[in-house]
Amino acid sequence: MSAVITVVKKNGGFQNANMVLNKSIQGFVSSDEDEDNILDNDIDISSSESDSENGTSKDRLSFQIVTPGELITEDPIWMRGHGTYFLNEMTYSSVAGVVSRVNRLLSVIPLRGRYSPETGDHVIGRIVEVGNKRWKVDIGAKQYAVLMLGSVNLPGGILRRKSESDELQMRTFLKEGDLLNAEVQSLFQDGSASLHTRSLKYGKLRNGLFIQVPSSLIVRAKNHTHNLPGNITVVLGVNGYIWLRKTSQMDIAKDLPPGGSTGAGSTIKSNIGNQNGGLSANSTNVSITRLEEESSWQIYSDENDPDLSNSIRITITRYANVIKALAYCEIGITQERIVSAYEASMAYPNIGSLIEREVMESLGADVINGEKMRGNAV
Amino acid sequence: MSRLEIYSPEGLRLDGRRWNELRRFESSINTHPHASDGSSYLEQGNNKIITLVKGPKEPNTRSQLDPNKATLRVTTNITQFSKFERSKSSHKNERRVLEIQTSLVRTFEKAIMLHIYPRTMIDIEVHVLQQDGGIMGSLINGITLALVDAGIAMWEYISGVTVGLYDTTPLLDVNSLEENAMSSVTLGVVGKSEKLSLLLVEDKIPLDRLESVLAIGIAGAHRIRDLMDQELRKHAKKRVKHASSN
Amino acid sequence: MSLSVAERSYLFDSLSSPQALRPDGRLAHQLRPIEVYIDFLPSSNGSARIIASDGSECIISVKSKVVDHAVEKDLIQVDIDIAGERDDSLLVESISSLFNKIIDTIDSSKLQLTQKYSFKIFIDVLVLSSYSYPVSLISFGIYSALKSTYLPKLISSFDDLEVEELPTFHDYDLVKLDVSPPLVFVLAIIGDNIFFDPAFNESMVANNGLIISWSQGKVIAPVRTIALNDTYVKGFKPRLVEDAIELVNKYAQDIVKTLD
Repeated sequence: MSAVITVVKKNGGFQNANMVLNKSIQGFVSSDEDEDNILDNDIDISSSESDSENGTSKDRLSFQIVTPGELITEDPIWMRGHGTYFLNEMTYSSVAGVVSRVNRLLSVIPLRGRYSPETGDHVIGRIVEVGNKRWKVDIGAKQYAVLMLGSVNLPGGILRRKSESDELQMRTFLKEGDLLNAEVQSLFQDGSASLHTRSLKYGKLRNGLFIQVPSSLIVRAKNHTHNLPGNITVVLGVNGYIWLRKTSQMDIAKDLPPGGSTGAGSTIKSNIGNQNGGLSANSTNVSITRLEEESSWQIYSDENDPDLSNSIRITITRYANVIKALAYCEIGITQERIVSAYEASMAYPNIGSLIEREVMESLGADVINGEKMRGNAV
Repeated sequence: MSRLEIYSPEGLRLDGRRWNELRRFESSINTHPHASDGSSYLEQGNNKIITLVKGPKEPNTRSQLDPNKATLRVTTNITQFSKFERSKSSHKNERRVLEIQTSLVRTFEKAIMLHIYPRTMIDIEVHVLQQDGGIMGSLINGITLALVDAGIAMWEYISGVTVGLYDTTPLLDVNSLEENAMSSVTLGVVGKSEKLSLLLVEDKIPLDRLESVLAIGIAGAHRIRDLMDQELRKHAKKRVKHASSN
Repeated sequence: MSLSVAERSYLFDSLSSPQALRPDGRLAHQLRPIEVYIDFLPSSNGSARIIASDGSECIISVKSKVVDHAVEKDLIQVDIDIAGERDDSLLVESISSLFNKIIDTIDSSKLQLTQKYSFKIFIDVLVLSSYSYPVSLISFGIYSALKSTYLPKLISSFDDLEVEELPTFHDYDLVKLDVSPPLVFVLAIIGDNIFFDPAFNESMVANNGLIISWSQGKVIAPVRTIALNDTYVKGFKPRLVEDAIELVNKYAQDIVKTLD
């Protein structure tokens, strides 16, 4: 417990390093649905997602691994997608990866690579440059993304018109270093992304901690904001950037069933509290709009809530460490797994011990075993 | 020191190889996942090389931004401790090192599909921890492995090897003793073809011998390509297995 | 990379509060885990590769040369090379001067071969990547490399003042270099709290940094302050230096034990 430092010491340089690497890879030859998704996102295995969730083993399509310069097919019928090139009527691979055939589209999905944005992705980014009517945002992709002044909500409501003075005071909204979450609105010709934050769930991030994991560990899903036990909310950016924060009113409102359940609803402050149980979807929408007006003046605030208690901070730290442990074990990161790893981590009262390799490996194994058990139980 | 017998009448070289044998070739990829987008560690004989590829990424300066393709930069760091005798001065900005960097950029500009990464930069950083002859070929091999690891699209593998010419016998993949004792030629070979993306002839070599030197060089480079391919596939299989065994 | 205002104030508030909480939950005196590989460069007398859990990495080579110690005063020389930094950059020069200074605390009489000649040790440090101030990592690396250094065994006579001869060595027998290299610790001062081995995000909100050198059971000179960021730096109570030195004295021995 009072370990000051742990040192793994080995003779010889790199071969050993690889053994460590192999161990961590082979140690968890279990479920990893996200990687499946990366590798065969477009292949027709729509059923696999739920299967891997349950941890049942399932025979995969046999993967065809190719390397650069390798002939994939002589059949000119295929359209050539990413990772391929066409020469003398034949299609070759340009990267090392797995061949994907969707309808007529042939592409090779590389084993590794930077995050490549797709329209609709929920990402987290950091402002790197404030320019003329636009911000440049680092989202971990090959190029910075662009956030146009016209693609953000400004204080004063959605219908407010942007004026010249807004252009001059862009830095008062978002400045270098600021973190925000946003949606990829469209892609430019060269593959770089244009973002927007025109929704209440997007915008500047506050009240929490930033961590980063490989983007391949985050699965594209309908929802990337999850409320976790302990009054914590996590935003899992598709680009591997993760934000952990104290659950806000907005986060609770989002989770409200359309019926407006009284339990969760009562925790929301009075400004949206005047809903009565009988109203349906409509009422939540109304209250969110109200909330929007209320909060629009502070959406660009740099101040954290004054009531960030120590216990909230401790919980955030614990979540941050278990997410890092999942990433260390190369396990795909989902809400269920975060919660299950969090519960498993309670066996270690000292949060600082969660950064040790053995502990991270054992947490990873716990999560995977837990999934297997549940899978078998079904 | 008595004069060393570079190539014995029985057909053996100083380290016991025959004329057409490569040195030990061991490589691994993804050795530095935190510090780079793609990385490799290569041991070719006693050459030990770490290669880090960063990018494609946003260029640091405007001058590095090309709207049509990626800008390629190679930095070669030959450490002061890389030779048996420690060198007194740093090799940075040495003419020879700058030349090496330029030829590496030239070689890989043609191999990487730079046009599909417009407005970005690919930064290649090579650290030579130990060198023992034929370093240029090893640099090429290390860079190829790291580029493939980074998922950067290439037309073909490039594999490099240095061939010496001892009297009339070509010696494949020379070490530093051999390299100092004879003329040598360094090749960068494109994939399984007989095309050369790099040819360095820095000493005099009889023209009528060049063909046999190139022939064994190309054969050796193809063998290296296969060895690199094996390593990459091994790694790929592991990853795919890890991802799908569920 | 800079952090957002909200991130920094979150970190600062957590770290400076009386119930200090580090962003990765470490105890104040807890260092991040490291991996050390030794002896992987056969053409060097000693070598080490050290990797921190955030991916910071450095490689150290130890080479030796026989010199006339009447001419060469400095028998140990440290050269620092940080990838992406020029050799004359401020960072490289300051780290280099720090190590050349503290390395003098090594008892160089261990390097004496004969009355006339000594080994000179060249320590080359290559920092491949670093995400926080790398001196601690470098010193652990130098420690591991020196501890695994073997030098050729002398077979000629020690007394060579009268005879004009160069030292001669055994063909393959080696002698382990027996020195106790100093260690360097980086501590961050945030509010009234002190933290060992600040990570990148902790450095960004540190009010000040302390570099404390330690050798053979006690803190030695130099002790230096260092600005870890541009925004939060301010003065600190002198008492904190005493506390920091006390902390180092308390835990350094454990660290040495783990490194061995």
